[in-house]
Amino acid sequence: MNATTFTERYILAVTRAVPEKQRDDVAAELRASIADQIDARMEAGMPAADAEREVLLDLGAPDELAAGYADRPLHLVGPRYYLDWLRLLKLLLAVVLPCAAFGIALGQVLSGAEFGPVVGSTVSGVLSVGVHLAFWVTLIFVLLERYGARPPREETESWSLDGLPQPRETGATFGDMLSTLIFLALGAAAILWDLNLGFVPGENLSFLDPGLWPGWVTGLFVVMALEGALAVIVHVTGRWTVPLAVVNAVLGLAFAVPALWLLFDGALLNPAFFPTVVTSGDGAEVHQILSVIAGFGIVGVTLWDIIDAFRKARR
Amino acid sequence: MTDNEALETHLQELRRGTIVLACLRLLRHPGYGYGLLEELQGRGFDTDANTLYPLLRRLEKQGHLRSEWNTDEARPRKFYRTSAAGHRLAAALTDDFHAIAGAIAALPQED
Repeated sequence: MNATTFTERYILAVTRAVPEKQRDDVAAELRASIADQIDARMEAGMPAADAEREVLLDLGAPDELAAGYADRPLHLVGPRYYLDWLRLLKLLLAVVLPCAAFGIALGQVLSGAEFGPVVGSTVSGVLSVGVHLAFWVTLIFVLLERYGARPPREETESWSLDGLPQPRETGATFGDMLSTLIFLALGAAAILWDLNLGFVPGENLSFLDPGLWPGWVTGLFVVMALEGALAVIVHVTGRWTVPLAVVNAVLGLAFAVPALWLLFDGALLNPAFFPTVVTSGDGAEVHQILSVIAGFGIVGVTLWDIIDAFRKARR
Repeated sequence: MTDNEALETHLQELRRGTIVLACLRLLRHPGYGYGLLEELQGRGFDTDANTLYPLLRRLEKQGHLRSEWNTDEARPRKFYRTSAAGHRLAAALTDDFHAIAGAIAALPQED
């Protein structure tokens, strides 16, 4: 191994993290500085190889020096978003994983699977949902860390006392926005999955009426996209206001009224679903009961959502 | 963390700003990386090369230093010089340093 190799390898290791444009400049400067330091030691009587060794060891780990040169974050999620990321991820895992486990297990049991396969597919399903959740949530925050519009905290000059977080839930936090967006995305994914593949393994059977595709489903997606946009606006505004709550109510009704109308018209849920899944022959009755529960669910959730937004706007 | 490591960390934090100030004041005459390192050490500013080199680039990026490659000699070197903004920063930091020194002197004495 000859003498120049160590220096060049060291420079290479340092400049890896430096943006392309400045790489040659940093390398040239570092090369001159290292050569100066080696010369100084050789003038003091040290052999060339020892001098190079000592200079490079003194400069320390290349990664640390590289971190000093890099003017971009060398972390995935920094202090600006870490707490939001952690809170959202924990919350989503705590909510979605049990739901996924329950849903998968129920689907398997309903389709008449044995105990072993039920446990097997539940475990593997929950694992893959968890991995997806963690990946996509983290990816969003990584993108925000790099391309997010808000300046880093230490550079924020225009923060105000009014901007301090409220001790109560305002429903307009960063986490609120992201959880809304992610739930909407997961909901859309579930609907597409249901209509195209079905949730019952081995049966190409959707829970929702296949006749809803494409018109009604497209309409639903438009409403969901508007809800997502509303969540972003509420977050940017900083709190719920009465006009925003009115928009929320309109969107809620735009979802609930057609859904209820379709439900009582018998066109929302797939009439073939329960008779196929429930093999004892009571499928039609289960369908009836489930329709009533779904109706109350839609009314309850929508009303609560509308009232909650107004409650937050009035505070 | 041992006591010694803690001491090192605290000393490093205490010195960080003084090195910026020293660089800005020394570079009213153009200087390059290693030469500046020598001068800092000779003047009693205990500085590591791996702190100084990235620091010079950051100050340049902020507009407090200007730089120029000097290729007249056998070894091309990047020379830095304090900009007008850098001089204003140096003056402000010097004032603040005096204020801090005064405030520390007025603290209750350690036995």
